[in-house]
Amino acid sequence: MSRVVPLREARPQAGPAAGPRLRLDPSVCDGVGICSHLAPDLVAVDSWGYPVVHAEPLTDKRDVRQAEAAVNACPRKALHLL
Amino acid sequence: MNHLHLAHPHADAPTTSPLPAGAVRMLDGTAVLPLFDAEQATGVTVHDLAAHRAHFGPRRSYLGHAADTLLADMDAVELSGRGGGHFPTAAKWRSVVRAGAGGTVVANAAEGEPAIAKDAVLLLTRPHLVLDGLAAAVEVLGAREGVVWLHDGAWASARSVTRALEERRAAGEADPPIRIMLAPARYLSGEATGIIRTLEGGPTLPRWVADPARPWSPGQRPVLVNNAETLARAALLGYVGAAAYAPTSLLTVVSDTYRVVVEAGPDETFGQVLARSWRSPDGQPPVAALLGGYGGSWVRWQQLAPMPVDNAALKTVGLSVGAGLLGPLPHGACGIEESARILRYLARQSAKQCGPCVFGLPAVADLVDRLVEGRLGRRDKHSLDTYVREISGRGACRHPDGALRMLTTALTTFSDDVARHKHGRSCDAPLHSIFPLPEEA
Repeated sequence: MSRVVPLREARPQAGPAAGPRLRLDPSVCDGVGICSHLAPDLVAVDSWGYPVVHAEPLTDKRDVRQAEAAVNACPRKALHLL
Repeated sequence: MNHLHLAHPHADAPTTSPLPAGAVRMLDGTAVLPLFDAEQATGVTVHDLAAHRAHFGPRRSYLGHAADTLLADMDAVELSGRGGGHFPTAAKWRSVVRAGAGGTVVANAAEGEPAIAKDAVLLLTRPHLVLDGLAAAVEVLGAREGVVWLHDGAWASARSVTRALEERRAAGEADPPIRIMLAPARYLSGEATGIIRTLEGGPTLPRWVADPARPWSPGQRPVLVNNAETLARAALLGYVGAAAYAPTSLLTVVSDTYRVVVEAGPDETFGQVLARSWRSPDGQPPVAALLGGYGGSWVRWQQLAPMPVDNAALKTVGLSVGAGLLGPLPHGACGIEESARILRYLARQSAKQCGPCVFGLPAVADLVDRLVEGRLGRRDKHSLDTYVREISGRGACRHPDGALRMLTTALTTFSDDVARHKHGRSCDAPLHSIFPLPEEA
């Protein structure tokens, strides 16, 4: 199953960092997809099953918890909270 | 391969553009090369060490305060990266200086772009200017060594650099250690993160970096990767100073049988450049041009012709000199078909690492093939728009972004051709395969 979502700004902008960002290393990601289940508010899936991650700094504690769960569960270690 | 048309395209035209009095240019003419495997560049004098030193004097040392002067001069002339990104060179050097000494400086001359030959021309005719720039960067940064990064198969360039290094050794020049490294002959072999990955013992493939200002791995020595032309410009700037430095651009003008490398002055227009570097098959100006590289932008010639070859001016209209490709599309060729060929090539040249590039680019190329064949249905059109939106900005490197930029600018620039192809009629273009694409293994 894949759902197509409009992409948000993909290149992170420099600026006053309000919170950590969820970052994806697309070169090691295999599109396993666990992240999109653990962090459904932050990770969408493209037409080929690869994650599209929310690019903005995470200010909400609930978002940060979701992001941490996704980072820890990624079998390819492709997600980072930076 | 066609070697028949290597005479200068306009024997009676001037081969250099006028520059302000006292300004010092890099090349003394325009270079003509075959489409592939350039053994030499006719039209530009080869400067061996004696000629080079006669021209500029002894090599400048940048071990002391001279480093600050050079960085200030780079700021003054707004020197930017000529590999395509046009990032301010002084800022890049300073960020590596801050990271500490003992690293590596790379003169990147792996021209993956099949149509571009400016770095090859520099290595073939001005090897010592590139090596002086490399040595300068090593000294300014307190690096341990310099590397000349070439792609496998660039034998003429490798021979020229080897000969130049031998000349310098024989003359007792006080150079830092410099060696040549050969990358696989692939489109992406010149991608900076892939070069750094190779220096760290990994494969020559791009990688994702969390902080673009520190593209090396934690705990590894810093690496500065600069395009060969950028380093040659740094050396030139060191010799002549900011006041006499000519902010020219090296453009590669590609036609169906040869490539011409032109040094364009900052006040020269693209129309003037083409008038002295391109032989139109029908005597007419082109319809449009591909600017920057295969991952660059298509522009209607009417719009581009009066514009100066000045990256700052181009930037205001969303364009860039990029890596210096100027690819005119003559009347009688089909921009959509040329773009479809280039897109398929770029899709195949993916490093095959990132999903959106591995799966997305071939999917887009398939849809563009349908467009060319007049079989693009309404749902296909919707998929094409969706895929383009989805892929953008999602690779570890900018390869997919460039491919899509080329495609989307083609779709708008050649909207008439798109309409013709959509209605199931071929545009019946008599000219094909204007842009050189190497045979792929």
